[in-house]
Amino acid sequence: MNRGAGARLQQAGSYAILLALLLIVVFPFYWMTITSFKSETQMRSLVSMFWPSPAVGDNYAHLLGRTEFASWYGNSIVVAVSSTFLATAVGTIGAYALARLRFRGRAFMASAVLITYLVPPSILFIPLYAQIRNLGLADSLAGLIVAYPSFTVPFVTWLLMGYFESIPEELEESAMIDGATRFGAFWRVVLPLAAPGLLAAALYAFTQSWNEFLYALVFITNVKLRTLPVGLSTFITGDVYGWGYLMAGAVLTTLPVIAAYIYLQRYMVKGLTAGSVKG
Amino acid sequence: MPTTIAEVRAGKAALPARGRAGPGALAQWLGPDYRLGYLFVGPIVLLVLALVAYPFGYAVYLSLTRKYVGMPPVFVGLENYVRLTFDGFFRRAVANSVIFTGSSVGLKLLLGMGMALVLASRIRWRSFWTGVLLIPWVAPTVVSALNFLWIYDYSLGVLNYLLVQVLRILPRGVGWLSEPGTAMASVIAVNVWRGFPFFGISFLAGMKAIPGELYEAAAVDGASPAQRFRHVTLPGIRNIVIIVMLLSTIWTFNDFTIIYILTKGGPGGATQVLPVLTYEIAFGAQRLGEAIAVALYMLPALAVVIIVLARHMQRGRR
Repeated sequence: MNRGAGARLQQAGSYAILLALLLIVVFPFYWMTITSFKSETQMRSLVSMFWPSPAVGDNYAHLLGRTEFASWYGNSIVVAVSSTFLATAVGTIGAYALARLRFRGRAFMASAVLITYLVPPSILFIPLYAQIRNLGLADSLAGLIVAYPSFTVPFVTWLLMGYFESIPEELEESAMIDGATRFGAFWRVVLPLAAPGLLAAALYAFTQSWNEFLYALVFITNVKLRTLPVGLSTFITGDVYGWGYLMAGAVLTTLPVIAAYIYLQRYMVKGLTAGSVKG
Repeated sequence: MPTTIAEVRAGKAALPARGRAGPGALAQWLGPDYRLGYLFVGPIVLLVLALVAYPFGYAVYLSLTRKYVGMPPVFVGLENYVRLTFDGFFRRAVANSVIFTGSSVGLKLLLGMGMALVLASRIRWRSFWTGVLLIPWVAPTVVSALNFLWIYDYSLGVLNYLLVQVLRILPRGVGWLSEPGTAMASVIAVNVWRGFPFFGISFLAGMKAIPGELYEAAAVDGASPAQRFRHVTLPGIRNIVIIVMLLSTIWTFNDFTIIYILTKGGPGGATQVLPVLTYEIAFGAQRLGEAIAVALYMLPALAVVIIVLARHMQRGRR
């Protein structure tokens, strides 16, 4: 066999594997979407399994008209946007200090941030709940906004430290020789250059907050104050009709993160790999 | 201007900015940038102390007490831990957690490696494939878990429909999540589905960073593709493989969402893992001290993993 044929065979194999992976990855989302447009009758009778026939909007009407879904959507937006701003602001200045400034305790704090990032929520959620209750923030969105930085800030800081370290130090130094203060050099020289990193970090903080389940499940008891993941999980009823609007809710919950992801895929993939991987 | 960058970096030149702060004894002791430095890390330190360190310390204390919701804690020493050690249900949850984590991480490693090798080979539309394959990682875990709950549904789920009616492999449907024999494999599959893209994308980034000359040299020496993988690719991504596997071990061992949504630890404890058990003892049985002891029981092992991982991650940065 000549080399060309072997290479082509290998390439065909690559595409076959990719297609298989694609199918496995995409199918659950396809299934979720078509389910959301199926009528109860169709679901019950197992006809035209892979396409809604007829396509109906009943599930969405029920979801928006007869459940608290719209309030949950608002709650999720408030919580995710606020904690994203908080995490990005705190993480950016902290990461800059840890990556660049020279002061006692810097190396220790940098390690502490990384270790904090690695401590899983499943061992923190009970004491954190007690803490939030002590602050008088139990059963409120503010409680979640305060708690979410416990996982978003360490990640954002760690990611941005790598980003700041990759910006040449000479740029700040020459700005400072030209009379800028340390803060001025950070604000006018480093921050604009780090904008793509900031965007990736903010998107990650948003996605993590938007998707968070355990804290929201534990901290919130008022039905109206639930976030989307917890709200959706309470739709599990086991009857046929439930699946229709449950899947409609799943579609609407997934849309913002997927839209952000498609729009900013380049930054997010880079940010994701920068989190654990370099060089 | 006589000042050079080398002088600035060596701290020999007096910068205008630093002139204001003053090169006093404090700056000598705390470092030249201590004012802005402490100002900038202040919020993080506050946050870590209030939201992680203090709760963590409080958790360790509570695990040494008998504490019910709404009652003051009573110190009991290691009683909770000793009792758990001999509790059959707890031991089963530990075993399940180990099985769940070991199988999931192993399968993610295999699938992720396959994904990375294929994406690193000569293909078209690489960024399209990469982008689509990463979607399970970005999508909300609750949504994915709910999707699979629906796919696995006994009477109306599409998996049984495909296996029984379309492919005719099975004579009748399987209760994927309700039968002890299949429940664990079913929840592992969901965890793998969600997690393998992260493995793939990280390995791919590592493979791209391996200099092409190494492969060329290996090819000149007559190395087969398998030998090139073993002697060039694997050593090149070794650190990344270690980091990703340890990260995933922590995340998977502590994964609450997937099992809580799919089985809540059932049927009959067949998929009960430590995070779900913690939640149930805390908020079902309202025994907080015991619940936290469940969560912290594996802390020594977790601490070892975290420290090893942190060292690898810091080394990867330098």
